[in-house]
Amino acid sequence: MTAAPLVTGDWSGQRERGSLWLVRTMIWLSRRLGWHFGHALLFPITLYFFLWSRGARGISRRYLTRALGRQARAADVFRHFFVFSSVILDRIFLLTGSVRPYRVRLFGLAHLQSCIARGGGCVLLGSHLGSFEILRVVAARDCPVPFKALMYRGHTAALTGLIERLNPALCNDLIEIGSPDAMLAVRDCVARGEIVGILADRAPDSHKQLTVRFFDGDAAFPTGPIIVAATLGAPVVLFFAVRVGRRRYDVHFEPFAEAVILGRQTRQEDLRRHVARFAARLEAQCRAHPYNWFNFYDFWGSARPELAMPDRHCSGAARPVLRAAGPGPAALPRSADGQPGRGAVEPGLVP
Amino acid sequence: MIRPESATAHETTERELARLIVDTLNLEDRPEDIRPEAPLFGEGLGLDSIDALELSLAISKAYGFELKSDEASRRVFASLRSLAAHIDTHRRK
Repeated sequence: MTAAPLVTGDWSGQRERGSLWLVRTMIWLSRRLGWHFGHALLFPITLYFFLWSRGARGISRRYLTRALGRQARAADVFRHFFVFSSVILDRIFLLTGSVRPYRVRLFGLAHLQSCIARGGGCVLLGSHLGSFEILRVVAARDCPVPFKALMYRGHTAALTGLIERLNPALCNDLIEIGSPDAMLAVRDCVARGEIVGILADRAPDSHKQLTVRFFDGDAAFPTGPIIVAATLGAPVVLFFAVRVGRRRYDVHFEPFAEAVILGRQTRQEDLRRHVARFAARLEAQCRAHPYNWFNFYDFWGSARPELAMPDRHCSGAARPVLRAAGPGPAALPRSADGQPGRGAVEPGLVP
Repeated sequence: MIRPESATAHETTERELARLIVDTLNLEDRPEDIRPEAPLFGEGLGLDSIDALELSLAISKAYGFELKSDEASRRVFASLRSLAAHIDTHRRK
């Protein structure tokens, strides 16, 4: 069930079809036989992908070596895969409404509540650390204002469809990235005082990215979420929803900015400062929850010079050639849009 | 209020809008390089939805109305021409 995102590049229809039957089977079995049965199946399934996904193993090992602060071993990589599968299994159950057995602790909720109290809406910046789903489910149940998730469907449409059919109501909470009016929808939500969740750790295949320090290397992060928050004048709160045990999640909220201000002359430096701050917070959370980060591609390899160009709003910055050919991310699924892309939030797979 | 309805008035709006797009998004392109029928998004000018957001803000300041986020606005964003026509229909200044 976890095939697609573990595959970096080579995103053929064959791959998706291959994992579709597995997801279907998993959903069917889990729903009939329960979470414990599904959980028991995770071990052989994780082992299968562990054995067959050589590229993802290497990517996981290189990331974990950074996050753990020591040489990652095969057992660490297996654990990483296992946590990823567990989060997806949980997703099936969370979407079908089996929320009760889950224990979710919320930290720093006051930061969000003060935004809600002011009634002006809020941008919640998250990442591929842990589970976006748990937040959506908790918000759908407890949040006094609507929570919308900005997501990209594109390449995992079939898988996403399968999983989202489990809970069509929750689809209403989605704003799909890809159409020209996606950010106008975000604008409308924030104007109504709603909360919009955006994942901000996948740089798009466009000029809307910046290379900043992340662990001991340089990595590309999207600037889009910051630009959107600045354009809307909305306060920004960070969230990290991590799996801490069997059906146990912790959601951390952190204040990020009362309002993101990008100076006309200092736009590029301002952007860089905010993106670097986000990367630093993500790094801290990755160190605290190393097995929860699910960006299974060569994250540091994404800092390509031809794409690490200044935002074109910067004086004299030419619009870089989009879709520049090159190694690395060029092989990844592409985002049709400038938003938290690298071709995917893969809502069908990456919770 | 006089609303431009003639073909030339549309062309004036198109030229104004091209300048607004270039200024707002600080494009390298010259306004006259933007072909009226070419797609603004994707293959043509290569704008994305974040550009659309910034552009909509500039349009609301310049023309006094807000672009909506719906199926219709996707058609409006199809080209400079369609966007200019939409502005001529809805402008309040």
